[in-house]
Amino acid sequence: MKNRANSSKRPSQSGDASPPAGFFPKWLNINVAIQDVGFFLVGLIAALVVGWIIFPAVLYSKQAQPINFNHALHLNPDKVDGIEGEKKEEKCSFCHEFREDGTFAGIPRLAKCTECHEDPGSPLGETPEEKDLMTRYVATDQQIPWLVYSKQPDCVYFSHIAHVNMGKIACDTCHGDFAGNEKLPLYLENRLTGYSINIWGKRISGFYWNKKPSDRMKMDDCAECHTQMGQEQNNACFVCHK
Amino acid sequence: MKKENDHGKPGHKYGMVINLDKCTGCGTCMVACAAENNVSVRPDQSDKERVITWMRLYRITNGKEFPDTEVSYFPRPCMHCDHHPPCVSVCVATATKLDFHTGIVSQIYTRCIGCRYCQAACPYGARYFNWWDAYFPKGKGLDRYLSPEVSPRMRGVVEKCTFCHHRLMRAKSQAYAEDRREIEEDQYQTACTEACPAGAITFGDLNNPEHQVSKLTKHPFTFRLLERIGTEPKVYYQSSRDWVRKLGDNFLPGEYQPVVNKTWMKEEWSTKPGRDTF
Amino acid sequence: MKLTRRNFIATVVGGVAGIQVTPLPWKFTDDVAIWTQNWPWVPVPPTGEFSEVSSVCNLCPGGCGISVRKVDNRAVKIEGRPDYPVNAGGICPVGMGGLQLLYNESLRFTGPMKRVGMRGSGEFQNISWDDAFRIIAGRISALRKSGRPEAIAAVDGNREGTTASALIERLMQAVGSPNYVRLPSLSDTYRMGNIVMEGRDAPVAYDLENSDFVLSFGCGLLEGWGAPGRVMNAWGMWHDANPAKRKTHIVQVESRASNTASKADLWVAPRPGTDAALALGLAHVIIRSGKYDAGFVAEHTFGFEDWQSTDGRPHSGFKTLVLKNYSPEQVSKITGVRPDVMVKLAAAFRLAKAPVAIYGKGKNDLNGSLYEFMAVQSLNALTGRINRPGGVLLPDPIPLNPLPYFERDDIASQGLKKPRLDRGGTQEYPFTQSLISNFADAINRSPKSPIDTLMVFSANPAFTLPDGGAFKNALAKIPFVVSFSPYRDETANMADLILPDCTYLEKMDDMVWPVGLQYPFYGLSKPVVKPIYDTRNCGDTVIEMAKAIGESVGSAFPWEGFEDVVKERAKGLYDAGGGRVSFDRAAPAWKPQNPKAGDKPGYNSFDDMWKKLMAGGLWYRPLDQAREWPWLFKTPSGQFEFYSQLIDQAIQRASAKDLRIAVRDDAACMAHYATPTSTANRSDYPLSMMPYEMINLASGWIPSPPFLYKTLPDTQLLKETSFAAVNPKTAAKYGLKQGDLVAVQSPVGEVQARIDLFGGAMPDIVYMPVGFGHTGYDEFLKGKGVNPNAIVQAEQDPVTGYPVWWNTRVKLVKV
Repeated sequence: MKNRANSSKRPSQSGDASPPAGFFPKWLNINVAIQDVGFFLVGLIAALVVGWIIFPAVLYSKQAQPINFNHALHLNPDKVDGIEGEKKEEKCSFCHEFREDGTFAGIPRLAKCTECHEDPGSPLGETPEEKDLMTRYVATDQQIPWLVYSKQPDCVYFSHIAHVNMGKIACDTCHGDFAGNEKLPLYLENRLTGYSINIWGKRISGFYWNKKPSDRMKMDDCAECHTQMGQEQNNACFVCHK
Repeated sequence: MKKENDHGKPGHKYGMVINLDKCTGCGTCMVACAAENNVSVRPDQSDKERVITWMRLYRITNGKEFPDTEVSYFPRPCMHCDHHPPCVSVCVATATKLDFHTGIVSQIYTRCIGCRYCQAACPYGARYFNWWDAYFPKGKGLDRYLSPEVSPRMRGVVEKCTFCHHRLMRAKSQAYAEDRREIEEDQYQTACTEACPAGAITFGDLNNPEHQVSKLTKHPFTFRLLERIGTEPKVYYQSSRDWVRKLGDNFLPGEYQPVVNKTWMKEEWSTKPGRDTF
Repeated sequence: MKLTRRNFIATVVGGVAGIQVTPLPWKFTDDVAIWTQNWPWVPVPPTGEFSEVSSVCNLCPGGCGISVRKVDNRAVKIEGRPDYPVNAGGICPVGMGGLQLLYNESLRFTGPMKRVGMRGSGEFQNISWDDAFRIIAGRISALRKSGRPEAIAAVDGNREGTTASALIERLMQAVGSPNYVRLPSLSDTYRMGNIVMEGRDAPVAYDLENSDFVLSFGCGLLEGWGAPGRVMNAWGMWHDANPAKRKTHIVQVESRASNTASKADLWVAPRPGTDAALALGLAHVIIRSGKYDAGFVAEHTFGFEDWQSTDGRPHSGFKTLVLKNYSPEQVSKITGVRPDVMVKLAAAFRLAKAPVAIYGKGKNDLNGSLYEFMAVQSLNALTGRINRPGGVLLPDPIPLNPLPYFERDDIASQGLKKPRLDRGGTQEYPFTQSLISNFADAINRSPKSPIDTLMVFSANPAFTLPDGGAFKNALAKIPFVVSFSPYRDETANMADLILPDCTYLEKMDDMVWPVGLQYPFYGLSKPVVKPIYDTRNCGDTVIEMAKAIGESVGSAFPWEGFEDVVKERAKGLYDAGGGRVSFDRAAPAWKPQNPKAGDKPGYNSFDDMWKKLMAGGLWYRPLDQAREWPWLFKTPSGQFEFYSQLIDQAIQRASAKDLRIAVRDDAACMAHYATPTSTANRSDYPLSMMPYEMINLASGWIPSPPFLYKTLPDTQLLKETSFAAVNPKTAAKYGLKQGDLVAVQSPVGEVQARIDLFGGAMPDIVYMPVGFGHTGYDEFLKGKGVNPNAIVQAEQDPVTGYPVWWNTRVKLVKV
């Protein structure tokens, strides 16, 4: 260690592969500098890899839904009959329904499924998913433990009816278009907070040039949208917190 | 008194009038409040500095000797001060705010850092600090009565009466489901108002002249707690008994002006109808 | 290349610089903040579909309508029902906290159990229902076989007239034991008073809402008397208008500044137990003024003026007696109330348009005194306030069907001929059906318990009886005790076998005529949630048990289940006609309604009525304010009897002394005041102790929901100690200060409490709250305060034999 300290103080005496004197300031030992930069870059790149790739991969646990639900199939009138509604919103709310008291049922309960898939002995189609539904849930009358992508924490109150019925906001504005979805995506849960990835947004950086409402569901996003829509009064704390 | 909101329209100003003559001191309001708002219950509820009671019944006596002693009760929710609520001004975390559109002072538990400055600032003692986590021992099953409409609190935050804000949201959802925007007087009532078996509590929009509360506040028997500190509480009290009204503020000797009224026995009275005539 | 220190630092610097341009630090900080907001042990109540279920609260005899808010299958809130005739939207704090009695595993029995620990230790072991039935049926059958069915006893805390109570009584009849014992309550005093003065075995009906002057002798109007939902609703109504123009005035007669006394328009404080003297003093003033209702007295009463019996003996009437013995000055000496107050009060009572004098003692849980009731009722009669709007009404009992006749076997017939252990209904206690204090006494006095098997239904007598612990001692002597309580109460902890009932939110049950209501009312509660543990409706258990015993006992219970019995009884309501099963808020049940010609009851068949009764939980007959006079009074004279001929007959059969009546001759058959006897020495025990009840603690055998402890001031309960309220002057006499720990000693025991200096307490009386001092239940209730019942030394009330629990001699000793 002493040697190194000496060598850096007297660069002219030590090196034979040194660039011509005068090109670099006397106090700079170029070999050492290159080494420094090299190690700096190693640290930098490692950090970037950790921060951008490993961290997100480690942070979120991936869970599959208990069974697959094929939105595209159910919304195809040629294949499935009985999902009523003219507009897309009406079709959505055929299953994701509003109750009479204005509360939103969210992910349907088994009772909604069994309105059509009532007899576990006679499936309506031929898919293995339906078979799964019949044997594991309909026959045993167990609720399906769905993982809810857009689930907000307990401190948040969100009124779907205020946004959908009064605000005339389409479902896919915030939830993205699920209508054409054949396979339910994996549910990614933050290991630290227990929140779904949809709250922070899929983009780990948190930056968007043209942010769509479906990109992120944090408090600031709600407030930003309220302000843009001229609904500042709904930024009062208790409107969205309970 | 009317506050204009950002759109220039007068907002709602929810408030309460509590008739202390009707109040029987039964405590249903306290229980209704605790049950409605998932308020923590611990095995020892006698340490009144630490027990959480958003609505609290204060027991007062007139201090006279037997048999002229009288007991009365002050149900005390959060006053939802309309003019610079002391708690809001001091909150370092912006965890509590006055909403000018409803007049309700909010408290966001997840934002609160537990410094208890607001608790010290509140002249009414309406704020409570969670010294412990809520008491739900494993296997006891007590948590099964918790309502999903109000978020249970963790240790280390301050909580207080919200005028059952979730009931306002409930009423709004119901209205939206029926394609209405406005909600009627009886559709948003706090849990204590609804529960009071004597109907002593009236709740409504103080900015709406049609609502019962706006009429009741004009009665000469109406007063507010510590009115002269200028916090403009939105909780009003009514009592026909002078000694009760007098306890609503700190008066210097001779400062209090009694409300004079005729009695049951057609004589003037100062404390209680009929009492002095026997 | 070697990793030197310098290189290492360069790497770290690079790493630190690099990490800044990744989301890691910012996201991590955010997540940690969020993590601290969501501790895993803070419960997150699951949400779901909200619904409301209507039922009836069965925690007290008040019968308030409740609406339970549910999220999916969980009940999350209890609220009052505005579409219910009794309570019109509000309920009391106990009813409001009811969910804490449902969802509390350590408070409840989760299934049938057998004792494994010492008696009273509360250690039990789970068994199956089949085993439980086998044990109890085997025991009962064996006793029957050995010809000792009378060694089986039942203590029943269900209200008289309910289906559960009818079934339990029937079980005892079928088994062949006369020892079916009920707990005394205020309703028994009312019933007995109505029998001796009016000849009517019917509930008392006070038309409070239509009265403009309520003179309450001891009724804790705001402490839970009657149907609390109804009374407090009326209270709100009375105070609706500008106080100066208030239509109704309330006068409270009570020795302590209770909520009712404080909130009343006037508080009159006589010494405890002297209410009868005060009522008669008021009668004296009214009679002397000559302004009593002479028409009513002449037409509808017996024994007011002096009279002659058929054997030619002259008798002095009520008038003579009252004028002789109860002048305001004489009464003032007894009661301590100033004579001028009595004069003014009597005048105000007389001048009111629709006054009513009502009698009670705190809540409904404990009995009153017969002669006090008679004195108050005499005051009503004197002013013609009986069978008049706003006064005391005389409706008929609820027309429920009686249970069908059944055949007893010889064992049962023989057993039923044996005398009752409590001597109820004998010459000494002619009007008393059961006397639990005598029952306990008989067991305690015999060397071996004459009762072998005791079944306890909906009662916790080891805690609630004001008997100085006598019943608890008796329990310890009884070889086999079976409890049907859903809760781990003191009595259940002494039991050998537990057959747990469901809580009131999990079962069907009926509510017959809330105390004091002026119109016939029948409420039906239904399961709000499915039983959350392995418990069964007590009615079903009784039927099941009878079937397990078999023989004639089993065939006395032909029903499938409890619901069939309720339905069979309710058929009587349909057959009687005139009832309604839905309620319109605009037409309160207490408002006289003119039935129109086309008025339909709202149902067209019994099945239709039953469906609606189940859904709405109510049946009532609108107020019938004044009934035709003929046949109204079923006394020997056919009149309202100031002089009760039934008491006269009872005295003829036994003697005034046997009936414990202190006065002799005519006064014994009329309302009178007699100085209570006490065996305790006045100089040793200079003070007297009076237990008092509060609305914010549950009554009787129901545990208090822990929410209620929030409502208690810290001058009533502090940590583990409850308070005894004494007047500052009394405390000064003994050198006691606020908060001092004292032993309250009576001849039968001692409890420790802290002193609360309360100006509203009458000097020389120690007031102790009832409801503290549990040794059962869970950590919320156990070991909090003391139970004053443990030191009560009660004499027997004349005629009835019920305990005079309001007058125990005590002394205070500083600890």
